[in-house]
Amino acid sequence: MAEIQLTSVEAFDGLLKPVGDVRPAGVRVRERSTLALATVMVRKGRRADLANRFSDAFGCALPDAGRRTEGNDLAFVSTGPGAWLACREHGGYEFSESLAETLSGLASVTDQSDAFAVLSLSGPRVKAVLAKGVFLDLGDAAFPEGHAAATQCGHVGVTLWRRPADEAGDPVYEVAMFRSYAESFWHWLSTSAAEYGLTVERAG
Amino acid sequence: MSGYRTKGGIVEREHRLSFSFDGRDYSGFAGDTLASALLASGETLFGRSFKYHRPRGVVAAGPEEPNALVEMRKGARREPNTKATVAELYDGLEASSQNRFPSLKFDVGAINSLLSPFFVAGFYYKTFMWPASFWETIYEPAIRRAAGLGHASDEPDPDTYEKAYAFCDVLVIGSGPAGLAAALAAGRSGARVILADEDFALGGRLNAERYEVDGMAGHAFASRAVEELRSLPNVTVMARTTVFGAYDGREFGLVERVADHLPVPLKHQPRQRLWRVVTKRAVLAAGSYERPIPFGGNDRPGVMLASAVRTYLNRYGVAPGRRVAIFTTSDDGWQTARDCLAAGVEVSAVVDARSEISQELYDFAVREGVRRFVGAEVVATSGRQALSAMTVIDRTGEPHEIATDCLAVSGGFNPNLYITTHLGGRPKWSDAIHAFTPGSKPSHIHVAGAANGEFSLAGAFRTGAEAGSEAAGAAGFEGGRFESVRTSEDAVSLSPLWHVTRSRQKAFVDFQHDVTVFDVGLAKQEGFRSVELLKRYTTLGMATDQGKMSAVNGHAIMAALTGKPMEEVGTTVSRPPHTPVTLAAFAGPYRGKHFQPTRRTASHRWAEAQGASFVEAGLWMRADMFAKAGETDWMDTVAREVKAVRGSVGFCDVSTLGKIDIQGEDAGELLNRVYINGFAKLAVGKARYGMMLREDGFAFDDGTTARFAEDHFVMSTTTANAGPVMQHLEYCRQVLWPELDVQIVSVTEQWAQYAVAGPNARKVLERLFADVVDVSNEALPFMGVKAFRWKGLPARIFRISFSGELAYEIAVPTRYGEALAKAVMEAGREWNIVPYGTEALGVMRIEKGHVAGPELNGQTTAADLGMGRMMSSKKDFVGRVLSNRSGMTDPDRPAVVGLRSVSPRERLRAGSHVLAKGAEARIENDEGYVTSAAYSPTVGGWIGLGLVRKGPDRIGEIVRAYDPVRGGDVEVEICSPHQVDPEGTRLHG
Repeated sequence: MAEIQLTSVEAFDGLLKPVGDVRPAGVRVRERSTLALATVMVRKGRRADLANRFSDAFGCALPDAGRRTEGNDLAFVSTGPGAWLACREHGGYEFSESLAETLSGLASVTDQSDAFAVLSLSGPRVKAVLAKGVFLDLGDAAFPEGHAAATQCGHVGVTLWRRPADEAGDPVYEVAMFRSYAESFWHWLSTSAAEYGLTVERAG
Repeated sequence: MSGYRTKGGIVEREHRLSFSFDGRDYSGFAGDTLASALLASGETLFGRSFKYHRPRGVVAAGPEEPNALVEMRKGARREPNTKATVAELYDGLEASSQNRFPSLKFDVGAINSLLSPFFVAGFYYKTFMWPASFWETIYEPAIRRAAGLGHASDEPDPDTYEKAYAFCDVLVIGSGPAGLAAALAAGRSGARVILADEDFALGGRLNAERYEVDGMAGHAFASRAVEELRSLPNVTVMARTTVFGAYDGREFGLVERVADHLPVPLKHQPRQRLWRVVTKRAVLAAGSYERPIPFGGNDRPGVMLASAVRTYLNRYGVAPGRRVAIFTTSDDGWQTARDCLAAGVEVSAVVDARSEISQELYDFAVREGVRRFVGAEVVATSGRQALSAMTVIDRTGEPHEIATDCLAVSGGFNPNLYITTHLGGRPKWSDAIHAFTPGSKPSHIHVAGAANGEFSLAGAFRTGAEAGSEAAGAAGFEGGRFESVRTSEDAVSLSPLWHVTRSRQKAFVDFQHDVTVFDVGLAKQEGFRSVELLKRYTTLGMATDQGKMSAVNGHAIMAALTGKPMEEVGTTVSRPPHTPVTLAAFAGPYRGKHFQPTRRTASHRWAEAQGASFVEAGLWMRADMFAKAGETDWMDTVAREVKAVRGSVGFCDVSTLGKIDIQGEDAGELLNRVYINGFAKLAVGKARYGMMLREDGFAFDDGTTARFAEDHFVMSTTTANAGPVMQHLEYCRQVLWPELDVQIVSVTEQWAQYAVAGPNARKVLERLFADVVDVSNEALPFMGVKAFRWKGLPARIFRISFSGELAYEIAVPTRYGEALAKAVMEAGREWNIVPYGTEALGVMRIEKGHVAGPELNGQTTAADLGMGRMMSSKKDFVGRVLSNRSGMTDPDRPAVVGLRSVSPRERLRAGSHVLAKGAEARIENDEGYVTSAAYSPTVGGWIGLGLVRKGPDRIGEIVRAYDPVRGGDVEVEICSPHQVDPEGTRLHG
């Protein structure tokens, strides 16, 4: 038998394509396939210790409910009481292991790198598109950079957070959803963004 | 033919549009409605009434229109009950009249009018009472044919619909003078403002009256105000958008008609968009609706609201008639006479029901030579299908016959306060304006202008500005101003006239439902006196217009009949929607297969390429079988897959089963408390089958849970219960036992997992993981688990079996799921490995007596399922106490047994009733039923599982499986549920 080759298939492989009039596109989409993800859940009675460990190890605070904070080379998104989603660019499957070691005894860590598909959505009309699916006030005052929410988009449960504006000055959001919903989410996104035009940026 | 186009109006005369009505071609201008364009073309007949099929014309110029309902468009886009008065004209518009047969001018249904003595209020209740057997077969079909307005298309709607959400500080409803002032005042404060108006032209009455504001025409002022609003980044102006309801949580429902004014929506454009708007404050500036006066023959085409006549004249440049007469109870009606004269339209008479009029009106009439009747009433009209004359009785009782083709009627105005009642507010009667005004209302809704009973133009601007500043201030934005404007004066003095008692002809209160003054009297006579009962009994205020014009008149007539004051009689309140909203808008994009999302596993596309067909399992799509070329009977495919697994090896995608990561010092303790059997002492590296109960003691879910470390377990659940089990565990750890140190998270989506099953399964694994992990029986015995790295990936092997074969489940991160499927296929090639689907899986679990959804149906106990002895007596667990109730432990309860057809070829069907042999097929003899059935290629016949009374004690007994629905009556033998390899030697192979 030939040597087994394992090739990864990203959640949105073969789905993302330009929609509508893209000169210029109102929305840009990019699959964030290089983001390693892990759930961090505080152990009973160890929240203060965990917060100290965060500041020692990552140089950041534990984000409060509805917030995202960035540490040295990683970010944490609050997803529920005592629960966070940790994200590291190019973290690989080692990310959750090293995180578990760092937080040993203070938090339970679970790899979720493949559980969620994450899309980066940006562009001048991105808010108008999200307004068709997310029943949250995403205005600059109510949902600025660093804000996060666990909510629904269309009929798909998502975790949503806002990143700093891109070079063009347009707002940037990242949307994480269970990966099996990718096709349904794309149906919502492609139809909702069609009137503004949508382009696809290279994954990363 | 009486209406014609004048020189005035704000329609775009350089932009001519063609359209058709009832197959005839017409033309109009951009800025017209279907009604204005038809009136300009001389049409007076628009429809037939609901009950008597009386000819009807346009009465109003807005959404309160009861008569001019038409079917718009053709084919799949056909849409009934569109009000011609709000249908924006577009080039190529096709409309047709409704509620007539065979044609609008000659309608056989009009015979109902001759039978009208029978069709009075309560007709249905009185007539179709008996015989009862006639109801379904004769009465209802006949009524259904005759009833209803218009016909929906039977074809699927080709257009798309959207839903959207918005958040603001101040929502302004209506863009008339009050709404514009409110929006400007709030907008200038920096508050986020949404201004919504159902009209395509913003400005409300500023477009319909000859107002002068700040030295310019009213409509010009409106345009300038809208321009400023649009220039403010914090203001969103939404035309063609109806605010149809107020809901809890300061939420409002809006429908935006994005493309209703186009023949078909533009590419990528929805037809309509449904908005849910959450706002801190709202300003209701929705204006008012003019009241008609019930008098004899008041429904004849050509009788219109006086304000509507002005709208057609001033906004659309259309004279609805050549000789306009006016019947008024207020100064406002006289404005119509002025506007007619200004447009060069003849005024044949002004009939004022009041005993006196002001000197100014008198002088005007004399100066202009207008024939006037003061203290007089219109008692009758005449004309065939259109008005030609009216009968006036003057103050001395002398009748006068006056020729007119358009009678403008003004009975005063009712504030459009409906939105204030949606959350339970009650209107209150005002003797000052003889109308209901907003009474109790939610504190976040401010009301301004005519909607609040402030009918003057200056008052509308002033109260609008106040409401806008106040609303913005309450939302935290101070300092917004709208300076007072100089306006022309308008007259508002009124004495109400609820109906003309001297009329002999039918006097209509509700045009749309043909409710007359007589019907209101009948309701009173028969005891239906409260306004709600009056509505129920006479249908007054029902149907598409919901009584916007008629309800208050009806209530006032009842008040007069019962001798009660209006504040005591009250008025009906309304629920959303304020005007009809198409169901498609509520469905939005979530229709057809997008009604709910679909979940696909990592190897979905690979399975498709292998010829898989799929079945829905909740939201998931699962491969149910992999048909090969030439297989025509699905049972052949399933039998082949089963034989391949039992004979060599097969593999199956089990990724959809729920997987829950459980960590913490007390993880084992949590499991001990939720499962009926013990888990705390499960060894690391081992898995165990577990059953959990609901709090009420019934079986909830089952699955295996593996221990990877002292403080780390991974639970598996059924596909169907993945969500509910997760919820249950969260409830347990957050609410029941917050003292436990346990953390749980779903990892269902993190892992792609495949069962590899069959006598050759180990060989396939050895080939896959040759140098990585030892999968020998010694290193990985039955119920052993391993976590390891494979080609840089975290991987897990669970030696568990649902098929009853030597079997493993292999898990890798989901993005490598397809790669794993391909690798397994390749590794198993030598042993002719096959992928198998949920059908083969189902056959094999029935052969093995493993319970699944049909048995775990929420009505079975652990004992029913043969797991009574698994229930630990050494610990407490969820459901233990209630599982000991007498009904739960009754030895007569049906319990799971195996079943097999005595003649193996005889088909056994799930759902068949179990009857003792020879027992009559009666419900008293029912002894249980077949829960699952399949053809077993291993046994060589039809087998099943069933819940049978005292089943386990009856092994060997022959019973009947009786299926009256599908004509089945099969003799079956009760047997052990474990019909294949009952000793389980294969598992341990």
